[in-house]
Amino acid sequence: MASISDCSVYLPVWKLKREEIAKATGLPSMGGEKSVAHWDEDSITMAVEAARMLKGEFDALLFASTSSPFKIKQSASFIASALDLDNAFTMDFSNSFRASTNALITANELVDSGKFKRVLVVAADCIPIKPGSLYEQIYGDGAVAIAVEKEGAAKIIGYNSSYQPLPGAWMLKDELISFDARLDAIFGYASSIQRSAMSLLGKLGMSPMDFDRIVASAPDPKSYESLLKAVGAKPQEFFFKNVGILGTAHPMLLLASQLDRTGRILLGSYGEGADVIAIEINEPVQTNLGRMLESRKEISYGEYLYNKGLTANRDAPDRPSIAKLWREEKSVIRFYGMKCRRCGTISYPISRCCVECGAKDYFEEIKLGYRGKIYTFTIDYLVSPGNYIGDGAHPHCVAVVDLDGGGRVLFEVTDTLTDLKGIECDAEVERTFRLLFEKNNFRYYGWKVRLLR
Amino acid sequence: MEVAIIGCGVTKFGHHWDKDHDDLLVEAVYEALNDANLELKDIEAVWCGTFYPFTGISGNVFSDSLKFFGKPISRVENYCTTGMDNVRNACFAVASGAYDIVMAAGVEKLMDAGSRGIPPIEGIFSIGMPVVSAPGMFAMAANRAFKEWGWKREDLALVAVKNHYNGARHPKAHFRREVTVEEVLKAPIVAYPLGVYDCSAVSDGAAAVVLTRPEIAKKLGCEYAVIKAIGMAVETMHPWHRPSESFLSFPATVKAAKMAYKMAGIEDPRKQLDFGIVHDCFTITELINYQDMQLCKMGEGAKLIREGVTAIDGDFPINPDGGLKSFGHPIAASGVRMIAELAKQVLGKAEGLQVKDAEAGFAHNLGGPYSVASVAIVTKP
Repeated sequence: MASISDCSVYLPVWKLKREEIAKATGLPSMGGEKSVAHWDEDSITMAVEAARMLKGEFDALLFASTSSPFKIKQSASFIASALDLDNAFTMDFSNSFRASTNALITANELVDSGKFKRVLVVAADCIPIKPGSLYEQIYGDGAVAIAVEKEGAAKIIGYNSSYQPLPGAWMLKDELISFDARLDAIFGYASSIQRSAMSLLGKLGMSPMDFDRIVASAPDPKSYESLLKAVGAKPQEFFFKNVGILGTAHPMLLLASQLDRTGRILLGSYGEGADVIAIEINEPVQTNLGRMLESRKEISYGEYLYNKGLTANRDAPDRPSIAKLWREEKSVIRFYGMKCRRCGTISYPISRCCVECGAKDYFEEIKLGYRGKIYTFTIDYLVSPGNYIGDGAHPHCVAVVDLDGGGRVLFEVTDTLTDLKGIECDAEVERTFRLLFEKNNFRYYGWKVRLLR
Repeated sequence: MEVAIIGCGVTKFGHHWDKDHDDLLVEAVYEALNDANLELKDIEAVWCGTFYPFTGISGNVFSDSLKFFGKPISRVENYCTTGMDNVRNACFAVASGAYDIVMAAGVEKLMDAGSRGIPPIEGIFSIGMPVVSAPGMFAMAANRAFKEWGWKREDLALVAVKNHYNGARHPKAHFRREVTVEEVLKAPIVAYPLGVYDCSAVSDGAAAVVLTRPEIAKKLGCEYAVIKAIGMAVETMHPWHRPSESFLSFPATVKAAKMAYKMAGIEDPRKQLDFGIVHDCFTITELINYQDMQLCKMGEGAKLIREGVTAIDGDFPINPDGGLKSFGHPIAASGVRMIAELAKQVLGKAEGLQVKDAEAGFAHNLGGPYSVASVAIVTKP
């Protein structure tokens, strides 16, 4: 069996209070708040944000999501490219809230077989929930990345998986639906998890008493609490109050929240059956979960609709050459610049001649840093974020940034909406992978900056 | 180099919703021909600028407007320096002796793309880069100058106040109204820190000049002004990606000015020239231009405007015509119009706006993300 050696969480900075949703939709508030993606975030970009915090090499990247932006086009390969992974095996797990644990189980097998040394499992969801629907208050957006290798702080000691296509929620076209929440809670969720868990315990020759904590993602927080009550265990933090349920990233979020203390845990996930994984945490793993929860900005319901693209017109200038993007992947996605061998200047993007001394074909490609300082900037009302035609309300913040380690680059400053505090000369910023704009039925990704979180 | 300007034509600049580019071009060209007392058939070659393809492309933009066929016509495009680059090409052609009488013209029909700022320029922003509007590009210079030198929005406002004061007296300006510092500061922000009055307007217009060599001008009995020099320099279109870029000076201007000054034998422009017309696409641009044109030291641009040095009755008047601030900026027309304004001033024909004892002046065009600049020196014969 393999181990979990590292873990990183990404939560969008924006938090929408359920009270706000209730006021706008007339539905009763479920209390607390949920994390919502900025307009330029989706499951691909959030996956990159979570994964780029993990140090070291990976030889496989398994991506789990129920909300991949493309129906045909693998997300894992975009993520691997943004992470500048060399020659990794890439694979998408999709269509089920169980996709992330499917990926974790697969990663365990890949490593256990000895064929792969270090596997990156990254789960992200940004489910397109219809405003005004029941699920709007339940699901939040976020991503979690986990490193799986032979030796690590938390050892996977066993797992069991069972399938059961009904009941449970589904999305045929563009609306998340469930037949009946009570039927799902009892005969879908609770019975699937229990069945998988019992089989696993049988295989391991253990009883529930051998486990310190049990976490299991659920269609709603109550179902989890009822399940744990039935088993006679103490419910753990479920993150409904401050994050919401992160789709298939939720089981990974629950796992991340357990890694900071030792003990034996059961991790369950539900979707057309259940995966249950037994993990022994021998050393605490420090994650960024606490920092992610602390760093928050509130968003109004109107701005939330704007972020979802449901208000305002968005028309980007026409520059959709995929040929160009393909040629410039190393600069645009992997974010390499060049270091001139004659004058030593580090510049961006890669170009045959040095921008300072003109030396031809005499440079080395170098990966540019993540952090930097604003040299100058503007807040441009003629353009809206994403190069869309300005609406006068959402300005396009752009900054000339001197990156640590060299290289000067013009970036969009994101995560702003109308909150422009702190954008000034010398402000410290960090790169963040985002959707640049959508045009001609394609999503163009690349790097922006945001103020440090 | 000595090239004679013997005829100038400039349309009124403004919102010409009811006129096409050819209507404007015909108006400017015939005004220039009348001024030179020549006929269209006397023109041997033409350089005609348009910046946006929707205004017109190729030599046909001129040939089909004037029905002027069978002669060499080149279309020039070089960002906002298109106008002066036109004149530069025409100048060297006539100075070389290849032609005796040529025309440089420029026209732009910006209103055909709507009145809300110039359309995004294809080709500047590659995939992966954020789009910056024209005001946004220059706003980045302003924010750095604020940081570096403590300049304020009030300093920029003084530029708008001065240029609108002059423009209010020019019959062909788009805006003929004075403004106050308070009005400028209160106007909505376009690209922070630039507000509406910090930006030149989107306008339509055309301008044309007839050029020859001084000896021919004398033979024709024309009154003429002399183009002594035109310098021009192209820098990077990605200043934001060049580590040495300060955003406090536009290297294209510095180099074009040096070239022109050298060509005209000028060592101290403040002493040897009487006035200038600078590219005030935005108020911040004018202040940085003072420095780049060597009228003052780095960081002292704001001091010049505060002390009234560049006012029409100041020690070194800048933009006595009202500048782009009052005229708007129909891109390819602006540089040609500036040359016409220089000629008018040195010939003492700038009624109501005449700079006292103006015998020699410069004009400056700056284009793109400060990447292309041209500087011309015009004197009395």
